Amino acid sequence: MTTRSNLSGARRWLSERAAATVDAAAARWVESRAARYGDKDFEATNRSGVVVKPVYSAADLDEIPPDDVGMPGEYPFTRGIYPIHYQYQPWMDLQIIGYGVAGQLRRRMDLLKERGGSRGYFGGEAYNLIFDMPTSMGFDPDLPAVQGAIGDCGVSICKASDFETLFDGKDLSKTHVSMVCNAGSPGILALYLAAARRMGFSGDQLGGNITNYIWDFFGHCGGVNFSPRGSYRLCADVAAYCAAQVPRFNTITVSEHNICEAGADHVQAVAFSIATIIAINEECRELGIDLDTVVPRFGFHVRYGEDFFEDIAKTRALRRLYAKVNRERFGCRRQTSLQARIHAQTAGSLATVQQPMNNLIRSTCGALSAVLAGVNGMTVNAYDEALGIPTEEAVTLSLRTSQIIAEETGVQKVSDPLGGSFYIESLTTQIEQRCMSLIEEIDQRGGLIACIESGWITDQVAQSAYRWRREVEDDTRVMVGVNRYRTDDEPELPVFQPDPEAARLALEDLERHRLRRDRSRTDRAVAALRDAGHRVMDGRDIGSVTAALVAAAEADATLGEMQAVLFEVFGRNK
Amino acid sequence: MSVRVTRVLLTKSFIDSHDRAIKTIALALRDGGMEVVMVDYETPGDIVGTAIAEDVDVIGISFMSGGQVATTQAVAAALEAADCADIPVVVGGTIRPFDVEQLQRAGVQAIFRGGERLDNVVECFRELARRGPGAALGVD
Repeated sequence: MTTRSNLSGARRWLSERAAATVDAAAARWVESRAARYGDKDFEATNRSGVVVKPVYSAADLDEIPPDDVGMPGEYPFTRGIYPIHYQYQPWMDLQIIGYGVAGQLRRRMDLLKERGGSRGYFGGEAYNLIFDMPTSMGFDPDLPAVQGAIGDCGVSICKASDFETLFDGKDLSKTHVSMVCNAGSPGILALYLAAARRMGFSGDQLGGNITNYIWDFFGHCGGVNFSPRGSYRLCADVAAYCAAQVPRFNTITVSEHNICEAGADHVQAVAFSIATIIAINEECRELGIDLDTVVPRFGFHVRYGEDFFEDIAKTRALRRLYAKVNRERFGCRRQTSLQARIHAQTAGSLATVQQPMNNLIRSTCGALSAVLAGVNGMTVNAYDEALGIPTEEAVTLSLRTSQIIAEETGVQKVSDPLGGSFYIESLTTQIEQRCMSLIEEIDQRGGLIACIESGWITDQVAQSAYRWRREVEDDTRVMVGVNRYRTDDEPELPVFQPDPEAARLALEDLERHRLRRDRSRTDRAVAALRDAGHRVMDGRDIGSVTAALVAAAEADATLGEMQAVLFEVFGRNK
Repeated sequence: MSVRVTRVLLTKSFIDSHDRAIKTIALALRDGGMEVVMVDYETPGDIVGTAIAEDVDVIGISFMSGGQVATTQAVAAALEAADCADIPVVVGGTIRPFDVEQLQRAGVQAIFRGGERLDNVVECFRELARRGPGAALGVD
């Protein structure tokens, strides 16, 4: 038994006797493999660089400290953040919706609700809103440069009254409002908070999420953002304001999904996500913010659909890394500061124009892996999203995908059902270790913001994206219907056509708004925003920018007017 | 006579998101021996101004989140006004079936949607550049 004595001390999971049995079985397997297949190689290298063996055994658990696994609901939360999960509270359905102007979108929201969607926690409603690009970036629809994009790929919003139209008659204290937006995030949040206040709701009654993608310099956010340092300062400001005034609102969504969609592999995407948390935490700490007041409202958006088991393992690695980094590196103590909440979305970049119905199968596989990974919210992409904005039929099918997984397959019965799998536990640890090396490299390069400023980050991501594309080109990566099993004549699918009238409606409404408001009141509020901006840029009065944004939104300032001030103070990325 | 290196402008709206495709195409064109100028535009005029200043042979415009028809029509008109309608324009990205006819009518030389082979894309740019000034005027 020389092998076993070499491993003594490393055998963390098995008794001597069990280890002997495992070793004997492994030896028999090596022998039968060699007899049958000779020295043929069956190892696979994932795009993340992780090497996957053809089979795993209990011996592979040796690398993993049992404390790293534990039970669901306990540190380091590898197996999930709650002791009991879907058995008590299923995931939140967060179908992405948005097009046209507020009144038009409200009709789509009502349709989803009527079909059993928009299901929030504990009987509430939940909406995951996407904005047209001008709104998302913080511009008003009457800016000449954004013509042609108004209400086209999301809803056009530029003033508090638009949110009042969107949520007219809703009980906002029972409505989870998730908003997906880029550089316009702080202003859009302020418009919503101002609208809610006008509708009679106080900040502590509101729950929801602003993605606040101003942290994202990885290739998702396009040309408009604040300067990297200005962005992270603003993230701290939003977090501090909400902690005090809107404590149930999630102030940032670090999107592993977006980093993957930009082309990164899973190790890069998870490592860069954790590096983002590190950068935000460092910013908050330097500004004197008690991390345990803001970190519980940070969360993640993770992509599913590229590699079934690696998707599950990366999720478990992400939860573990997040818990360890926040506790060990930043000294967080509150349990909610250590729990990574995850909003899953299936992979848009893997959806194909060719044979688009195939995308339904792809997103089903992605959604299933997300559920097996124990995510908290779910967006299943519609099958026709490579063609345009989804049709009502396609949106309904994506909702049905989530409902079938939730209510027909039986997967909700057991938490972390793959926990303890030799393969999954080993893969989780391998991904965690690779991510830690990459995080160390970023530290050595001066931290995330320095890596963004030097262009190193975007370079890493673009190289990965190019490698992926070349794998498709040389057929080492299969995309059904694209480089294999192609068909020449494809049936034409109906494609959703947004209302071309939306732009006219938005522009007329904005013109009326500018004429009717009390201009001097708006101007005073915008001037106060500028003053707050300078204080916060100086490192004082953190949270006062978001407070001033809400006040300006209440004083009828438009998104674009507020954004212009923020750009002036916090700098543009280029 | 020295062979002139093909120069390409790749551009995307400053308010568009997800720049994976345009960056991948840029690397592929670079590996195909071309010089690539990549900028975000705010107005169609920016595209035309950059194309002229950089003396490019082909303009490639990428669209992820809308604006493809209005922008492309405006670029075509601005090229015309600048007496540069001979610079061919290629469009790529999330292009809906009902956009195609209008894009073609605006004079677009090629439309690439998701899943297109990189070597086809590179070859198309090369061919448009090889045909030289005037290529965009002849319909074939």
